[in-house]
Amino acid sequence: MEPSSDSEIIERSLAEPAAFASLYDRHAAVVYRFLVRRIGPSAADGLLGETFRIAFERRASFDREHESARPWLYGIASRVLAHHRRSEARRLRATAALAASRETPLDLPQRTAASLDARELWPRVADAIAGLPAGERDALLLHVWEDLPYEEIAAALGIPIGTVRSRLNRARRRLRELTAPSGEETLTPSAARRGKIES
Amino acid sequence: MSDDFDRLRRLRPDRLQPHDPMDPKVLTEEKERLMSAIEQSAGAVHATSRTPSIYPRLAYRDVMAALEFLTRAFGFRERREARLEHPAGTLAWLEVGDGVVMIGESGPDHHDLYSPAEVGRTTGMVNVYVHDVDAHHARAVAEGARVVMGLEDMFWGDRRYEALDPEGHRWHFGERLADIELRSGRRR
Repeated sequence: MEPSSDSEIIERSLAEPAAFASLYDRHAAVVYRFLVRRIGPSAADGLLGETFRIAFERRASFDREHESARPWLYGIASRVLAHHRRSEARRLRATAALAASRETPLDLPQRTAASLDARELWPRVADAIAGLPAGERDALLLHVWEDLPYEEIAAALGIPIGTVRSRLNRARRRLRELTAPSGEETLTPSAARRGKIES
Repeated sequence: MSDDFDRLRRLRPDRLQPHDPMDPKVLTEEKERLMSAIEQSAGAVHATSRTPSIYPRLAYRDVMAALEFLTRAFGFRERREARLEHPAGTLAWLEVGDGVVMIGESGPDHHDLYSPAEVGRTTGMVNVYVHDVDAHHARAVAEGARVVMGLEDMFWGDRRYEALDPEGHRWHFGERLADIELRSGRRR
């Protein structure tokens, strides 16, 4: 079969639903890895199918100006993840614990008395991410974990590029505040958010 | 500035666990589930498109027997709510995918339409695309359809067979070869 663009496959699948299979073949592994990063392997299994079922149902609304369906699929997966904030927070904390256990003092050369040691820092980073508003967390993780360019993040989340920038800036600011080595008061909002996630 | 994001990058789970298992079975199993959901929803969508632009009407001497055979051997669904059981003759609507066929009594009082069983010749053929033509063929044969052209890959991109129903109406069942490839994951 001659190679066709994602957009052509989606167009074909409107009349021939089975054609949607090749969209899955192209992107399922990437979407699956993304879901695993965000909520871990066992929860990701089910969400992979859910993401593609939603994509299939909404395929008529795919903007066929776009060649690649990847940002669109990232966007659907992000919205699916929004219903699983607790699993995501748990996953982040587990990952942070792993990071803390791996990090030796040698990894932090400019460590001073005032800086947080790894055991404190990583859980704070995890809580900070988990506590971000969904829109900011989605933009942030598409940027730093998936390496999507700004315009693809914008396409994924259905927002203007300017909003991607401002969300990333806000996320950056919050992360800096919440993981600042000094200032016990910064722990309070983090703890409050953590409580909310777990409720 | 980038320091905050660097930390985050280092928190990417697969950097910490490069051997986090990526089970290829998951991809295959989820694909199977997805495709069967797609088939079902495609059926559901079609069932709601009630008025195709073209819907042929075929004449039978025995409409009830035809109805029974067409649903059993060819897998058509009857729109039960649409059936008209009139003393002058039964009318029934059968659907498959997004297509609909009407069947009714033959004779001068019924639009002057006749069954091949009466005139001794067939003057038309109804072409039907089905899902999994091989399975369709096996079922039709098992249920007693008379296959007049066997299953074959055709140059125009279909795999098809032709069969007669009990009164001699000719049916052509096919599937796009490209769809068969997609379904079976084969590549040409």
